[in-house]
Amino acid sequence: MYDALLDVWHLYIRALKKTIRTPILIFSALALPVLFLVLFSQIFTQFGNLPGFPAGGYVQFVVAGIIIMNPLFDSGGAGESVVEDINSGFVSKMLVTPVNRAAILFGRLLHDMTMVLFPVAITLVLAYALGATVITGAPGILLILLTAAFFALAMSGLTMAIGVTTKSSQAVASLDLVVTFPLAFVSTAFVPYEFLPGWAQAFSNVNPFSYVVNAVRVLMSTGFVWSTILAAYAVIAVFAAVTVGATLFQFRSVVK
Amino acid sequence: MSDIINVENLIKVYPGGTRAVDGISFSVREGEFFGFLGPNGAGKSTTIQVLTTLLKKTSGSATVAGYDVDKDAREIRKVIGVQRQDTILDGDLTGRENLTLQGHLQRLHGNALKKRVDELLTLVELSDVADKRAAHYSGGMKKRLDLASTLVHKPRVLFLDEPTSGLDPQSRVAIWEHLETLNQDEGVTVFLTTQQMEEADRLCQRLSIIDHGEIVVSGSPVELKHQLGGDTITMSLANGDGGVKDRSKRIVSGIQGVTKVLDTETGLAAYAKNASALVPDIVRLFDENKIRLTSISVTSASLDDVFLQHTGRRIRSEELSKVDTWKGHV
Ligand SMILES: Nc1ncnc2c1ncn2[C@@H]1O[C@H](COP(=O)(O)OP(=O)(O)OP(=O)(O)O)[C@@H](O)[C@H]1O
Ligand SMILES: [Mg+2]
Repeated sequence: MYDALLDVWHLYIRALKKTIRTPILIFSALALPVLFLVLFSQIFTQFGNLPGFPAGGYVQFVVAGIIIMNPLFDSGGAGESVVEDINSGFVSKMLVTPVNRAAILFGRLLHDMTMVLFPVAITLVLAYALGATVITGAPGILLILLTAAFFALAMSGLTMAIGVTTKSSQAVASLDLVVTFPLAFVSTAFVPYEFLPGWAQAFSNVNPFSYVVNAVRVLMSTGFVWSTILAAYAVIAVFAAVTVGATLFQFRSVVK
Repeated sequence: MSDIINVENLIKVYPGGTRAVDGISFSVREGEFFGFLGPNGAGKSTTIQVLTTLLKKTSGSATVAGYDVDKDAREIRKVIGVQRQDTILDGDLTGRENLTLQGHLQRLHGNALKKRVDELLTLVELSDVADKRAAHYSGGMKKRLDLASTLVHKPRVLFLDEPTSGLDPQSRVAIWEHLETLNQDEGVTVFLTTQQMEEADRLCQRLSIIDHGEIVVSGSPVELKHQLGGDTITMSLANGDGGVKDRSKRIVSGIQGVTKVLDTETGLAAYAKNASALVPDIVRLFDENKIRLTSISVTSASLDDVFLQHTGRRIRSEELSKVDTWKGHV
């Protein structure tokens, strides 16, 4: 067990080093939320004045969506890196050592949980500059960071499952898009639930993304509404169990 | 001494139906430098993958360091070092980081690991570039780093799949020297595959020639070449059609001292102790029989001749003809 944790740690450090040495990856991860926040706050601001829109205005509303968009849109790297490691033979180089098999995956997942914190933090800082606030204060901010990290685990599990199954980074990139777009836009991320058409409400009801966004939103605007927060954690737990479980299962055929 | 690798009746059939390894048996003694010599597609890499726990065998038995490849794979992984046919490194990491990570995965830590990594960097002469990213290394440097990365945990058995393929002659000799040092000074057992007869000849104490998934013959290089009964006389015929070749063969076989005559693609290869002394006779006899020779040469017998004797082909011919057909399609 101790050995397995050390394996995870060393492969986590490897993943971090690889990312840090490819600055363009960090740049695009940081640019995305800035771009969205600036664009959305300019283009959709008038929505905030519509009757029935939650109090606090559009920026205060949309920040939660953009925060949780980070783990959603940054998750492709996990799938692509595992594809690269399988196809370059690096996985097999690891497999001839006593390394814990699952650690090969968990090192990268832990990396994604860490790296997502940077764009989330940037989003929060920029949102603050644009006038948004987090009503629950520092404990609320910590819980928001934790929620984003936990959601990153589930999402990276998804792209890894695709990567381990298809062994193609193109498949990861395109399938990832097919999955993330409906999750992101047919949800409560950018538009209040009441404003969604009926079919979209139905989808949003089963969309894990909506649950996570709602939790962050109450932490920003309402307070510690535990029913909403715990619902999000339950959804993420199930989602992560499925995606990470699928990855581990599919990985067994690679390890064989 | 006990056998450190023992393989009996090993068969590997890939899902597509290819019988890559078709019932081979051999054993390697502890401390031995053992080789598989064979052409493309012979089953060398497949055998290595089975022995290094990367691939499940179809049937037969295989043990490494006394452990069964199926039941005790975990134990095997602690005592083997494996260099795959393709160089595998993390190009984003430096040379030193590549070795250190490999050490970590082998559960080595702290100062002992640091010392070992420095030692290996010196051994493969990469100390100067140790802190540069491996992606920026030359092909030869990458191969040396890859070799070093298999040695971090001082394996008892080293598996090397064509460790010098694609290298320039100098880098090749450098690798050979490292391998000799490892085997002779540190007592590491080496299992090496190669398509190069010079490599097998220089390094291996014993080898098996493998072709189409089967072992054709095994022995020490000296023994194997000895069986040919002397040096090689290679003759190319201007007109190689069946009749001429058969006549030539009869003529050469009749010459005293010739122990064996084999067909080659362009003519014949004959073996004799006093090979050079027979050349004038051969030339004269061919002249008398109006058979045109385009060239005749004498070389000491090589493992390629051994391969020819047992398979009827030169080890390289398959690859060459592959290249030819490929060119034909362009
Ligand atoms: N993953 C695979 N699936 C199906 N067939 C394979 C696979 N790997 C190898 N083969 C086939 O098995 C046979 C033996 O291949 P192998 O790679 O063991 O040969 P080799 O001796 O290492 O050749 P080379 O010198 O070219 O590396 C070949 O016919 C090859 O096409
Ligand atoms: Mg091979």
